[in-house]
Amino acid sequence: MSSLTDRAWRVGPLVSRIVAALAGGYALAALASVAVLVLPISKPQAVITGMLASFPIYAGAVIWVFSVRSATRAWLGLAVVATPLLVAAWSVWRA
Amino acid sequence: MSHLVALVLCVAGFGGLALATDRQQHAVFGRALPEGVTYGLRIAGAAALLLALGSLVVRQGWGLGLVMFSGHTSLASGLVHATLIGYSRLHSSTR
Amino acid sequence: MSRRTPDEEPRLTGRGIRQSMSDLHSWAGLLCGWILYAMFLTGTVSYFKDELSQWMRPELPYQAQVPDQAAVAQRVADELGTLVPGSPQWSLRLPDARNNSVYAFWRSPARSADGRGFGEGQFDPATGRKVASRDTLGGDFFFRFHFQFHYMSALWGRWIAGVAAMFMLVAIVSGVITHKKIFTDFFTFRWGKGQRSWLDAHNAFSVFGLPFHLMITYTGLVTLMAMYVPWGERAAIKTPAERQQLSAELSVFIQPGRPSGQPAPLASVEDMVRQAQARWGRDNVGRVTAVHPGDAAARVAVSRGEAGRLSMSPQIMEFEGTTGRLLAVRESVGPAAEVRGVLYGLHLGRFSDAVTRWLYFLVSFGGTAMVGTGLVMWTVKRRQKLPDPSRPYLGFRLVERLNIAAIAGLSIAMAAFLWANRLLPLELPRRADWEIHVFFIVWASALAHAILRPAKGAWVEQLWTAAALLALVPLLNAVTTQRPLWRSLAQGDWIFAGTDLLCLALAALHAVLALRTARYRPSPRAAGRARGGPVAGGKLIEEGA
Repeated sequence: MSSLTDRAWRVGPLVSRIVAALAGGYALAALASVAVLVLPISKPQAVITGMLASFPIYAGAVIWVFSVRSATRAWLGLAVVATPLLVAAWSVWRA
Repeated sequence: MSHLVALVLCVAGFGGLALATDRQQHAVFGRALPEGVTYGLRIAGAAALLLALGSLVVRQGWGLGLVMFSGHTSLASGLVHATLIGYSRLHSSTR
Repeated sequence: MSRRTPDEEPRLTGRGIRQSMSDLHSWAGLLCGWILYAMFLTGTVSYFKDELSQWMRPELPYQAQVPDQAAVAQRVADELGTLVPGSPQWSLRLPDARNNSVYAFWRSPARSADGRGFGEGQFDPATGRKVASRDTLGGDFFFRFHFQFHYMSALWGRWIAGVAAMFMLVAIVSGVITHKKIFTDFFTFRWGKGQRSWLDAHNAFSVFGLPFHLMITYTGLVTLMAMYVPWGERAAIKTPAERQQLSAELSVFIQPGRPSGQPAPLASVEDMVRQAQARWGRDNVGRVTAVHPGDAAARVAVSRGEAGRLSMSPQIMEFEGTTGRLLAVRESVGPAAEVRGVLYGLHLGRFSDAVTRWLYFLVSFGGTAMVGTGLVMWTVKRRQKLPDPSRPYLGFRLVERLNIAAIAGLSIAMAAFLWANRLLPLELPRRADWEIHVFFIVWASALAHAILRPAKGAWVEQLWTAAALLALVPLLNAVTTQRPLWRSLAQGDWIFAGTDLLCLALAALHAVLALRTARYRPSPRAAGRARGGPVAGGKLIEEGA
C-alpha cells in the first residue's frame, strides 16, 4: 500500500506537469490568439497575427512547465500569464 | 555561378572556423596553433561567411539571399565536418 | 555519467534545468519520432514532387520548353466546359518549368449524384484533353501523406501531423537548451565510440541544419494554423463580408456572388492570361480560377506564379467572365498576412531555382537523419543498461522494432511505390489507389519482418532490400518505358535522368548503411565505463544518459 502511495507521490507531479504542458499550454496559446484582437489593427490582420503567435507561445509554455522547480510553480506561471490575456479575451468575446 | 561562389566561401569560412578550435588543431596538426594564427583563422572564417552572405544578398535580395545563405551554410558545415572526419580517419589508420 | 538519479528521488525536482530539458527532449522526440521521421522523409521527397509526378507519368513527353500558358488555359477551359458543364467553380494550375501537365480541380454541379461534390484531374497541355497516361497520384501521394497521411479523413491526419509538429518544435527548443556546448562542439565527431558517436552524429545533423529545422517545423504549423487555432477567427469574424475579407488575405479568392441563372459563354480565357503574362512574365502565370463559368455573372481570377518570389500571398487579376474586362488587380495583402505568406512560401520552397531546391532537399534530408539518429540513439543509450542484453524488456523491444520498420521499412515502401507505378497493369481499375495500397502493404510487411527477425538481422536485411529496390529502379524504368537513363541523359531530360540517378545514389547510401550495420558490434558494457579519453574527459554532453 505504501509503495502505491509512494508511486502516486512520485508520478502525481509529473502527470500534473504533462497536463499543464499539453492542455495549459494550448489554452494559453488559444487565449493569446483571441486577446490579440484588442490591438488597434484591422480584424483580419489581428486574427492572422494571433494564429502566427500561438505556436511560439505554446512551445514557450511547454518549456516553462518543464523547466521550473515544481508542478505548482508551473501552473502558477501559466495562470499569471493567462490572467491578463483572459481579461483581454473576455472583452473581445463580450463585444 | 553566384551559388558556386557562395558555397566555396562558406566551405572556406567553416574550414577556417573549424581549424580555429582547439580540438580540430589537435586532430589535424597534432598540437595547438599559435594564438595569433588561431585568431587570424577565426577572423578570416567569419569574414568569408559574411562575404558569402553579402554576395548572395547583393544578387538575390534579402529574402532569397538569406534563404540561399542558410542552405549554403548548412551544406558547407556538413562538407567541412565530413572532410575533417575523413581526414582524421585516414590519418589515424596510416599512422 | 554524472547523472544516475536514485530511483527514490522524485523526478523532475531538485535537478538542473538542463536535465529536465534533456528528458523533455528525449520523450517529446520519441513519442512522435516515428511519425516525424515519415513526415520528414516524405516531405523531403516532396521538394521534387512535380519532377516525380512527371517521372511517374512516362507517357507524357518531356517538356523541353514551357508551352504558351495562355493557349493552354483556353484549351483546358474549353474542355472543362464540355466535361463538367454547370460547375459552379473550377481552377487550373497551368504548366510551368516543372510541370508538363495541367492540374484541374472543379466543384461538381449541384445536381451531380456522385456525392463527392468535387473532382480533379490532369490535362494534356497540347490537346486540352485528360492526360492519356497511367492512373497515378504521382509525387502528390508523398506530398499529401506528409501532412495528412492516408486511410483516414484528411481532418484527422492533419490533426495528427499538427500534434507531431508541435512535439517537434518543443523537441528542437529543448534540444538547443540541453546542448550547452553547441559552438565548441560544432565540429566534434568521435568515431567508433558507440553511443557517443551516435550523439555526435545526431548533434551534427541537428546543429548544421538548425535554422532550417526550426523554420520548417514552425512554418509547417503555419500552413494549417487556421485549423489548429481557430479561436481568434471565431471570436472576430462574424459576417460573410468579414469572412471574405479574411479569405482574400490568405488565398486566391473572388467574391462568389450569385449566379444570375442566365447562361452566357465565357469570354476568351486566352486573352485574360495574356494580360497576366504581360504583367508577370511569359511563364509566370500560376492558376486560372473561374466562378460560375457559363453564367452571366461569371468571374475569372488569374494568379501570379510562384517562381522568384518568397511569399505565397495571393496576387491576382480579376476579370468579368462574359466580357473579359479587367475588374481589379490585387498584388498586396496586409502586413500580418504577408508575414504568413512568406512563412508559407518558405515551407513549400516553390520559389526555388534548381540549386536552391537541391539545398532544400539536402538540408531536409539532414533533418530526416536528425530524427532517425535520435530514434536509434534512444535504444543505443538504453542497451548498455539492460540487465540482460539478450532479453530486453517489452518497451525496449517495441522501440527497437518500430525503429526498423519506420526507418528502413519506409525506404522499402517508398521504393515499392515506384515499382508499383511501373509494374501494375495499366488497365487495373482504381490503379492509382493500388499504387498506394502496395506502399502500405509493403510497409506493413516490413513491420512484420522487423518483429519476427532478430533486430540486427532485420536492420541489415531491410537496408539491403531497400538498396536493391532503389538500385534496380533505373533498370526497371529502362525495361518498362521508352525513356531509359542513357536516352534521357542524351536528350538532356534531367527529370528522368535525375530521378534515376537519385535512386542510384540513395541505393548506395542504403548499401553503406547496411554494410556498417552488419559490421556493428554493440560495445560490451565495460566499454561504456572505460571510455573518456583526454579530449572527452569522461563528460557526456548532457544527453541525459
